[in-house]
Amino acid sequence: MKRSCLMLSLGLASVVLAVHGSASADEWGALKGKFVFGGAAPAAAELKADKDVEVCGKHKLLAEELVVGADKGVANVVVFVRDKAVKVNPDVAKAAAAEKVVLDNKSCRFEPHVAFVQVGQELVIKNSDTVGHNSNVATVKNPPSNNLIPAGGEVAAKFASDEAIPAQVTCNIHPWMKAWLVVRPNPYAAVSKADGTFEIKDLPVGEVELQFWHEKAGYIGEMTIGGKAEKAAKGRKKVAVAAAGTDLGEIVLDPAIFQK
Amino acid sequence: MTNTQSSIRPAFPVVLAIVALVAAGCGKTQPASFRLNMVQATKTAAPEAGLEMPWAKWSQDRQSQVATILEAMFGTPDEPLALPESGLDESKLRLAAGPVRSDIVGRKNGLYREHCVHCHGISGDGMGPTAAFLNPYPRDYRPGKFKFKSTWRDAKPTHGDLVHVLNQGIVGTSMPSFALLPPAQVDALAEYVRYLSIRGEAELALYTYAEQELGGDEKLPTTREFLVDEILTPVVEKWAAADESQIPIAAVPAGVDFGLPASDLANRESVARGKALFLGDGGCVKCHGVTALGDGQANDYDDWNKAIVEVSKEVAGSLDTSRQAPTGEMSPEKRAEHRTRAEWLHAFVEVLEGDALRPRTIPPRNLRQGIYRGGRRPLDLYRRLYTGINGAPMPGVGPSGPGGKGSVADAEIWHIVNYIRSLPYEFDGELGADRPMVAKDRF
Repeated sequence: MKRSCLMLSLGLASVVLAVHGSASADEWGALKGKFVFGGAAPAAAELKADKDVEVCGKHKLLAEELVVGADKGVANVVVFVRDKAVKVNPDVAKAAAAEKVVLDNKSCRFEPHVAFVQVGQELVIKNSDTVGHNSNVATVKNPPSNNLIPAGGEVAAKFASDEAIPAQVTCNIHPWMKAWLVVRPNPYAAVSKADGTFEIKDLPVGEVELQFWHEKAGYIGEMTIGGKAEKAAKGRKKVAVAAAGTDLGEIVLDPAIFQK
Repeated sequence: MTNTQSSIRPAFPVVLAIVALVAAGCGKTQPASFRLNMVQATKTAAPEAGLEMPWAKWSQDRQSQVATILEAMFGTPDEPLALPESGLDESKLRLAAGPVRSDIVGRKNGLYREHCVHCHGISGDGMGPTAAFLNPYPRDYRPGKFKFKSTWRDAKPTHGDLVHVLNQGIVGTSMPSFALLPPAQVDALAEYVRYLSIRGEAELALYTYAEQELGGDEKLPTTREFLVDEILTPVVEKWAAADESQIPIAAVPAGVDFGLPASDLANRESVARGKALFLGDGGCVKCHGVTALGDGQANDYDDWNKAIVEVSKEVAGSLDTSRQAPTGEMSPEKRAEHRTRAEWLHAFVEVLEGDALRPRTIPPRNLRQGIYRGGRRPLDLYRRLYTGINGAPMPGVGPSGPGGKGSVADAEIWHIVNYIRSLPYEFDGELGADRPMVAKDRF
């Protein structure tokens, strides 16, 4: 009796929620911001190519685990919507599904350093170099892979499941090469660009929970938004998305979080 | 009288000590218990801001919760348990588990502890008492990765694959052949390896879930739905799919005759083609070197060792940063956070020293020795080339899954096999082992 009563009220509640949810149905807004390094920009260390020196030695290779631009923008910060069941704008989903994501082995580094691919979307790992590479993809929920990609070759992959945190991609032949793969079940993820800016378009209007991650810092647990220091346990933070778009402005990251 | 007394007195404590020693020796020994994967337990227990209780107590609680859950799901080394959803055969597990003994009909029990535990450890962590003295280290089953199998790289080995390794042993390592055991015993051991592996992966899944989903003082859910559907089933499904995950074997092309030596005229063109692929699209040369002596790449690690190397490096770096942090300038709140973090890092160092073997690099195989760990049949070599070696840096030249495209066509892989077969018998100087070779001369 008690149980059926509970089920009934749960059922009612979900109906109410569904109705409420659909009220703001077709409103979508963009979210943007800019990650700023809260200290003197560190210089990127130069890497030494000790394998295939004839080819890789020609390129200037820099460590990419923390890339801070001239105006202190922090590149390669990953922002994604944590809720996997978030409502997705059908147009965005369609557009994204048709597009291939390319991860290139170029000039003995990966381009881009952090790539975002959706579940079901095609990822092409190609090799534009004149030497062979292998791409060791260390996914956790998806089956990991390690293919040899000869000069000029490519392999394609699709992912059936999301990854809770970005998966590392390495090349065993050239140990300095490293990239990250963000695998999410929806189009709502972004990687900050060289100037530190990011934008996620067409999010459902209302409150969404974001998660912030960076390869050196891990989950970003603290940040200063609009001059206000905020904690974000496991990099999680709720923000309100407005139909007119929401700009988080400058998100200042304490250098200490990158020195763990 | 006084004389005898004085002679007894000094002896009395000695007698007591002997009685105590004998009593302790006669006492029941502790029942065997599984050890937690302490490296993972600690790695996933980084202190968070806003934790109510002291970190040490919090992480201790998490560990004992994981231990309780695992015991409920898998039992103990003496009393293994196979949930119906695990797909494990409990009667086989019982044959393999527990102390070495004979059952009522005289059948040998406790096979794992008779044959395997010394190297692979009671928990299948590859850290038995002999482990530190062996090179390579015994396999740690807990990440669920196996090298020598007939399936796609990311797929689990079939039961037959595990039985094959047990029967053949692994040449060039300390793993002996168990071909002299009755087949039923080998069968039970293979199932027990699967059990330890599934258990280890479930443990990893619990830590991962806790790290990624739980906040603050939250505890792991203990409902059957969670433990079976979210933790156990994803692991079991992969094992259940092993039989359907075998790689296709291309027909051996014309001009390849494995019945004849690789040096035979009949194989000459095939061997030459294999050599071109070895140096070209196959990419083998990158690690095995122009001379195939395994000298192309010397500083890489396999996945098991790499996990320890990476985490050790991170912890050492963090500890350095932590020591240099200007605690004097910190707010009390920041200082408390800093202290908790340092406590975690120190605990981590202890775990890495006590619960992990010193990492070792994995040299690419010297192909001129004729020792192939996964087996020397052309079929074995074909499989190693096709998928690469799971857990090792060796990439595959075949596709990564059904319908994919590899860097070398399936049938062409047989030529590389033929070339590899020729290497132990080839004159060393033929490739110019004594002088460096430039790329344009390789063909």
